[in-house]
Amino acid sequence: MRKFTFWLTALFLVFGLNLATAQTKVISGKVSDNSGALPGVSVVIKGTTKGTQTDFDGKYSIQANVGDVLQFTFVGMETATATVGATNVINVTLKESALALEEVIVVAYGTAKKADFTGSATKISSETMGTKPVTNLSRVIEGNSAGVIVTSGSGQPGAGQDIRIRGFGSVNASSAPLYVVDGAPFYGEISTINMGDVENVTILKDAASTALYGNRAANGVIMITTKKGKKGFSQTSLSINRGISNPGIKEYERVNAYEYYPLAWESYRNSLYFRTSAPLFTIDNANGIASGTYPRNSSGLQIYPGTSTTYSDIHQLLQNNPFDKSGLNLIGTDGVLNPAAKLMYPEDMDWQGALYRTGQRSNYDLVYQGGADKTDYYVSLGYLNEEGYAVQSDYQRYTGRINVNNQATEWFKTGLNLGGTITKSLQAESGGTAFVNPFFTARLMGPIYPLHKHDPITGLVQYDADGKKVMETSRPIQNGRHSYYETILNDRIARTNTIFGKTYFEFKFLNDFKFTTNVSVDSRNYNFERYDNRFVGDGNPAGRGGRTNTLTKTVNINQLLNYTKSFGNHNVNALLGHENMDYTYRYFYGFRQGLIVDGHSELINFTTTNTLTSYEDKYRTEGYFGRLDYNYNSKYYLSGSYRKDGSSKFHEEVRWGDFWSLGASWRLDQENFMKDSNWFNQLKLRGSYGEVGNDAGIGLYANQALYELGRNNANEPGFVFQSLPNDVLSWEANKSFDVAVEFGIKNRIEGSVEFYHRISDNLLFDVPLPLTAGVGSVTKNAGTLFNEGVEITLSSDIIKKDNFKWNLNVNASTIKNEFTKLPGDKINDDGTKYYDEIITGTKKLRTGQSLYDYWLRDWTGVDPADGLSLYKFDETRTPGASERTINGVLMTTNPNNAQYHYVGSSIPDVMGGITNTFNYNNFTLSFLVTYQFGGYSYDSTYANLMHGGSSTGQAWHPDIFKRWQKPGDITDVPRLDSAQSTNISAASDRWLTSSSFVSLKSMNLTYTLPKDVAKDWGLVNARIYISGENLYLDASRRGLDVQRSFAGTTDYTYTPSRIISTGLNLTF
Amino acid sequence: MKNIVKKIGILLMVVSLASCSDDYLDTLPTDAVGADDAIATTKNAWASLNGIHRLLYSQHRSTQAEGGLGGIFLLSDHLGEDIAYPSTSNNTSWFGGTHKWVDHRNENSSMASYPYYFFYRIINDANLIINKIDNASGDPTEKNRIKGQALAYRGWAHFNLVQFYGKRYVAGTTNNQLGVPIMLASSEEGMARNTVEEVYTQINKDLNDAATLLTGYNRANKSHLNLNVVNGLRARVALTQGKWVDAATHAASARTGTGIALMSTTQFLQGFNDISNPEWIWGSNVLSDQTMFFYSFHAYISRNFSSSHIRTHPKSVYSDLYTKFPSTDVRRTVVATTNSTADNYPSYMSFASGVTYNRFAAASNKFWVKDPSSSVADIVNMRAAEMFLIEAEARARNGEDVLAQNALHSLNLMRRTDVPVKSVNTGQALIDEIMLHRRMELWGEGFRYFDLKRTNAPLKRDHTGTNHNNTQVGGIFNVPAGDITWEFMIPRAELNANPKMVQNPS
Repeated sequence: MRKFTFWLTALFLVFGLNLATAQTKVISGKVSDNSGALPGVSVVIKGTTKGTQTDFDGKYSIQANVGDVLQFTFVGMETATATVGATNVINVTLKESALALEEVIVVAYGTAKKADFTGSATKISSETMGTKPVTNLSRVIEGNSAGVIVTSGSGQPGAGQDIRIRGFGSVNASSAPLYVVDGAPFYGEISTINMGDVENVTILKDAASTALYGNRAANGVIMITTKKGKKGFSQTSLSINRGISNPGIKEYERVNAYEYYPLAWESYRNSLYFRTSAPLFTIDNANGIASGTYPRNSSGLQIYPGTSTTYSDIHQLLQNNPFDKSGLNLIGTDGVLNPAAKLMYPEDMDWQGALYRTGQRSNYDLVYQGGADKTDYYVSLGYLNEEGYAVQSDYQRYTGRINVNNQATEWFKTGLNLGGTITKSLQAESGGTAFVNPFFTARLMGPIYPLHKHDPITGLVQYDADGKKVMETSRPIQNGRHSYYETILNDRIARTNTIFGKTYFEFKFLNDFKFTTNVSVDSRNYNFERYDNRFVGDGNPAGRGGRTNTLTKTVNINQLLNYTKSFGNHNVNALLGHENMDYTYRYFYGFRQGLIVDGHSELINFTTTNTLTSYEDKYRTEGYFGRLDYNYNSKYYLSGSYRKDGSSKFHEEVRWGDFWSLGASWRLDQENFMKDSNWFNQLKLRGSYGEVGNDAGIGLYANQALYELGRNNANEPGFVFQSLPNDVLSWEANKSFDVAVEFGIKNRIEGSVEFYHRISDNLLFDVPLPLTAGVGSVTKNAGTLFNEGVEITLSSDIIKKDNFKWNLNVNASTIKNEFTKLPGDKINDDGTKYYDEIITGTKKLRTGQSLYDYWLRDWTGVDPADGLSLYKFDETRTPGASERTINGVLMTTNPNNAQYHYVGSSIPDVMGGITNTFNYNNFTLSFLVTYQFGGYSYDSTYANLMHGGSSTGQAWHPDIFKRWQKPGDITDVPRLDSAQSTNISAASDRWLTSSSFVSLKSMNLTYTLPKDVAKDWGLVNARIYISGENLYLDASRRGLDVQRSFAGTTDYTYTPSRIISTGLNLTF
Repeated sequence: MKNIVKKIGILLMVVSLASCSDDYLDTLPTDAVGADDAIATTKNAWASLNGIHRLLYSQHRSTQAEGGLGGIFLLSDHLGEDIAYPSTSNNTSWFGGTHKWVDHRNENSSMASYPYYFFYRIINDANLIINKIDNASGDPTEKNRIKGQALAYRGWAHFNLVQFYGKRYVAGTTNNQLGVPIMLASSEEGMARNTVEEVYTQINKDLNDAATLLTGYNRANKSHLNLNVVNGLRARVALTQGKWVDAATHAASARTGTGIALMSTTQFLQGFNDISNPEWIWGSNVLSDQTMFFYSFHAYISRNFSSSHIRTHPKSVYSDLYTKFPSTDVRRTVVATTNSTADNYPSYMSFASGVTYNRFAAASNKFWVKDPSSSVADIVNMRAAEMFLIEAEARARNGEDVLAQNALHSLNLMRRTDVPVKSVNTGQALIDEIMLHRRMELWGEGFRYFDLKRTNAPLKRDHTGTNHNNTQVGGIFNVPAGDITWEFMIPRAELNANPKMVQNPS
């Protein structure tokens, strides 16, 4: 702070004096387009940062010197210039521009005209976002930017999606992009930002545009700019949105109860018939046992003649018979269900039906904004209430933002942008295979198990003393558990309070200089309330509850010195800066059990403490940087930047990294030889190279040798070894090359074709150590990978008539990802290579392969002789009883002896989005289609639905009808046999499924009230719309969420919602 | 004048760009201790040692089957025949693949790597103590107590490892078969496998050194390793190596000491959950805020905790085992003989109301938790009964039948509600009888895989009327003695990172 005061004093002293003596006169005028006055046009003295905006009547006034060139810019219009001469009035008419080149985009520590920018960036303006009723920013990025791949995200209201820009840059460090909000790195939850407050989003993709951010910018930057008040007029607007939500992805198909019982019978029968150890059964014996034809003992179990071993029949095994025929009359020895059998309570066996509901969404935003001579303001208030389509999931959010800017004097400007968000969210468990996850349990629940207890004879539902239905928890699958009741009886409540504030002080001096200090603070309180009820589930029988409290605070301060000057045709812009970031995370967690009184789950209401802990983490960075932009006559552009960054994650000696970039572009359209071109109204070549650092995603103390606290032995203090030291651990380096051509054809088509090659070097790698080392891994700089791809963006006004317009936007991109070096790549003395591969889950990392290449058992099909799964035999093993030769090839039925192989990747070949926008009079219809071709998902969910019967009571996919049933059957589904789960269900390439998809992501129809009508009603603007999200998905298997994860693995999660909503926007 | 002011201003601006203080980027964690301090004093070294004690009852690697040493016990017994899953219901997933003899033969499986990870982690923490304690500040006697226990841990951990991953030790041969790497110091590069003989040599050296350092050590509680524990470990090792006299002698001294005595039949019904039981020589004392939740040993093996594993599959005793004991044997009375409520809900154990457990004939009521809502329970790692059984077996195998009969009888006296007759068996019949008692006495305590392997016995789960379920065992009822599948596969993670490592035959 002392430093800061110092700054101010110095500046006042020096430059205040200087500015007071400047020679100026006042120029005023009006800016219009062919339809009338144009408010909000930026008027800037060329080559300086001095400027103003036109007011509501299109009027402006500015102090300028004779000879200064005034530059008038407005989105969608061609920039106009006028030289200040004798007259004090300059009126300008702007022409509509087809060129996006005039667009101003937000770049690192400033803005740039797209035409002047040598880097690669995609801007998504508030127009593109349109009236999409989205809660989270990621939903507007999807499909709108080439080179960006996203996951499908969760249907949990408020949840976002994972985003990767230009491939997957890291292995163990983070590959996620950096978020920058109004110029300051943002570490909070993006969903706490009200999308209504967002003016635009810019995605910076190449090193030339990101290098200035140095640390964390290696994987691209997403710049978010919030709205500002416009000077000269004040207005108030109100937005209302109401909608409903449902699952956006259809559920996996599963067999019904009538189909289920015979399948389970067959699986049980086969497990008896195919036994290899005593007692052995004939097919008739096996049929008889499964159907229940043998004599019974006192426990009701069958006794097989001649032995003392007892056997269940199928209805005893399944533990529930929902049919109106007794267990003994249910399935014949031919395995056929009694045709007269009817379900007694079919309506009570729909677990997903119980879990799902129609979600609701309401969103209200009130904004008032405006500005007078020196001050502009923007104030917004927002309320969002979203109920998800699954029970116990919602999100309530209150947001407020005030953005005030004050041009105190001509040379001093300051402002405050203050936002606050309060959220409360019910968050039903989702993801993973815990029984408490209802998305897991409801999907796998066999179709013969009711939610409530029924009388086995009459089928009538049973009630307890309070008149409530009794839940049924007794069954072979998820015994004692009940996903529906657990979900509604448990609490998972997240509450957050977030404040983000940003202020800046901007001084202009010596005509060409601007000095800015930005201070931003982001503070977030998170409170998570967890209660596991005492009746059923993990909390049964005592009840247990937990509280997580965290406090995250980030302070970011930067000082920027800007210099802008034109010397004839030479235009120069220079930037010097310093930045430091201080991140603090305080964590508190308590967990207790033994509920005392019903009614609340505060920790005091429990008897026994299970966990009680807290800690504080710190992370700091500091950087020095500079940038120099030069262009000659707006034809030839050069840009260079340099940043030196230090991170607290690395040892003192090695914590500073040097990052830099160089970019150049050539605007051919400005050349004389192109000026007369009938084809190209726009043509630009650009290229860049740069190196950026990454320290994100690794431990905050990754370089330190530590012992972990919290390992007391009863009451004696204890700690255990945690991590090895690595004093040389330093930045992951991202070296990225980019070349592109941007073009505009006949004012009708514009687009770009871009190629990038991005090398991640010195990867922050959790290098696996031998287990004998006693610690799993050590983080080292080791390994190299690259991503490369082509990105094509095309935008065309296919039809452009006065009352009808059709605009088409298409983007497509490719990703190639490959390791060129891995940590263990070493050459032995004898020239052989060792340890060049790391197997994790379904993947194997190896030089020459990608991060996401599948490494799986080679499943070759089903043996027609006995219906077992066959795998290619691993020749390094010794063949034994489980191996057999099929068509001359040695196969194995034991997955432990199976050959593994590389088989496909989760990375798609091509992906992108297509947006069509139609304007007809006052109607606008737009829809976004996203697509992906190539790539595979490893569908473990499907694998679970294709079990051989060992998971008694678990649901089946209808593909099970294709199973092997008798010798000679040619099929790719093995026999049902509950004793053969090892053979049938092993992880293998059998479960790979194409990830190609086409999705109708969103659709939007808007009606804008004609201006004169609006005016009669006392409105400036009025719009109504209807909008839909996640409307249709065409993928290779129903239920498969192909975008679940970048790694291609599936999960049991809250799939994205389909939201249909209507809305009204009014501006007064 | 104006120019001067200007220049000063610009200068100040540039200077101030270099702003943060020198230590701005130095940050330290608050939930960890620097490794340099961890063994710098005896006080801290005690904390390091206590950390090892705690690893025996900690959640490991986010895998629910890896609940410290309890997870190892369960692994061993699920490979054997004496734990049975009588029904087809699922929920056996955590040890299901082990029970089917699949997981430990799959180099990518967490169950193949768990013992490897677990024991080498302990060895590493022990090595850090052993190699640094001499330079620590503090009382030399204290240092001996700490170092002795670390050595005992190292010996014990290698002993477990070599039994899992090596071929069995065959007494009277050179035992040149591949064992496991002997780790006496941390190595990031990895080490080659030593022979089984070399590993046993090191184990004996560590345990003998530990015995010297711990002589006279009066421990604070039974989680610490004193001379009794070390002698117990020496007895186990000697038994595995076929050194019968050593085994018998060490076993006898292990169970001799203040506060150590066989428990009564009443105490046998107290659930094997309390470290104050006089029979316990070594155990873990688990406090309520140190719960392992569903990772806990008792979340699998106990009868009355409310976990899906237990509700669905109360662990049952192989029907061929318990039926051979008379109803006056307390070890039989803890086995339900029918699936009736009385058998399955015995009065000496507390059950939570509203929790329904499946009931089976043969369900074991041996282990239970004091409070059915919590898996917290003390865990027994070594107890006197085992020492009597080691003594009996070693004497019998050494031809000293009378001594063997006496040792067995001493134990039997405490397990019967009537007065048992001392065994008159001799030779192989006596050995068989002792082994049968060993199975019954130590059921569920993690011995069966090791016993089958060291005695070169086959796995047999298919006696007539077996209560093993075809689905649960995945058709694997029998495994012949000496089959290659008796060796765990070396985990893939080790092969990935250690070029000197050699995989077991497959």
